[in-house]
Amino acid sequence: MIVLKSSDGETFEIEEAVALQSQTIAHMVEDDCVENGIPLANVTGEILAKIIEYCKKHVEGGGGSEEELKIWDKEFIENIDQSTLFNLILAANYLNIKTLLDLTCQRVADMIS
Amino acid sequence: MLPEACVANIISFTSPADTFSSSAVSSVFRLAGDSDFVWERFLPSDYRSLISRSTDSHRSFSSKKEIYRCLCDSLLIDNAQNLFKINNFSGKISYILSARDISITWSDQASYWSWSNVSDSRFSESAVLITTDRLEIKGKIQTGILSANTRYGAYLIVKVTKHAYGLDLVPAETSIKSKNGQINKNTTYLCCVDEKKQQMKRLFYGHREEQMATTVQAVGGDQKKREPKGRDDGWMEIELGEFETREGEDDEITMSLTEVKGYQLKGGIVIDGIEVRPN
Repeated sequence: MIVLKSSDGETFEIEEAVALQSQTIAHMVEDDCVENGIPLANVTGEILAKIIEYCKKHVEGGGGSEEELKIWDKEFIENIDQSTLFNLILAANYLNIKTLLDLTCQRVADMIS
Repeated sequence: MLPEACVANIISFTSPADTFSSSAVSSVFRLAGDSDFVWERFLPSDYRSLISRSTDSHRSFSSKKEIYRCLCDSLLIDNAQNLFKINNFSGKISYILSARDISITWSDQASYWSWSNVSDSRFSESAVLITTDRLEIKGKIQTGILSANTRYGAYLIVKVTKHAYGLDLVPAETSIKSKNGQINKNTTYLCCVDEKKQQMKRLFYGHREEQMATTVQAVGGDQKKREPKGRDDGWMEIELGEFETREGEDDEITMSLTEVKGYQLKGGIVIDGIEVRPN
């Protein structure tokens, strides 16, 4: 289990497989500096909760078929407001979660087009 | 405000047109919109190979956006036998196959066809019809080199000279065939039909024309009467038909125009090539 600490002091305990979807966290685990939890100064508790929700669904083999995941992603992204969306982009960029970054950016791109 | 890399990621999901217009939003958008990351996404996947096959193969580019602009201005490839172009706003691919790159029956016979440099042609040679009673023109293209999920139209680029004859009696048949069996057929006139002239002709040749017309229905599958239409490059175009491309599929499309049923001698039509462009 890995402990993540948001910028506003909330802690989240999640399974390693879920956390490793973030390349940033994966590097930290490799470098073995996760003893006392990982502080994420750039991510608030609210956003981190959303990210963990996404990562839990997308853990390999656990989320369901490709079709089901697509539908889940669509609902996930359509139910968030603009400021949360932008904060998610920043967090996904910082945490280096490519699939979430592409999903959020595609959503903004669709809004622009 | 989002960092440039994120903005670039967002913009890369839009279109070239949106990228151009979003550059005016802020300096971050402008920088993101100029980035190689974004323009690499809009370039056709085989752009390196296209450039190496072109007359510009030795040119060096300072950015992917510059390469994109170059492709929008069109590129002569394969010994200048074909023209490749992408649309500035959508990034969609179009090709013009030169007359040398398509098959024209008897075009190697000097008594039927001559090859010459026509002043406003995009190629070094166009095929000029001297005389024939058998007009058969065929071009082939693979859908894999075109933009996916796009509706394309094929057009024969032509000119009719002052001394043309026999082009307006019997309509020609056009078809688009794909290797996986789909066929789309229509008919078209080879030159614009002058109604008054037609009426005069019918007075003298009415019966003969009726006989010949029964061999080819003047109206195509979709009930439209087709004629050549003007282009903005000084040429006319005859629509051969339409086809759709699909992601991941590489089909061979054969586009043809034939007039072989009228046994009517014709001459004076100039063929520059076949254009395949998104509709």
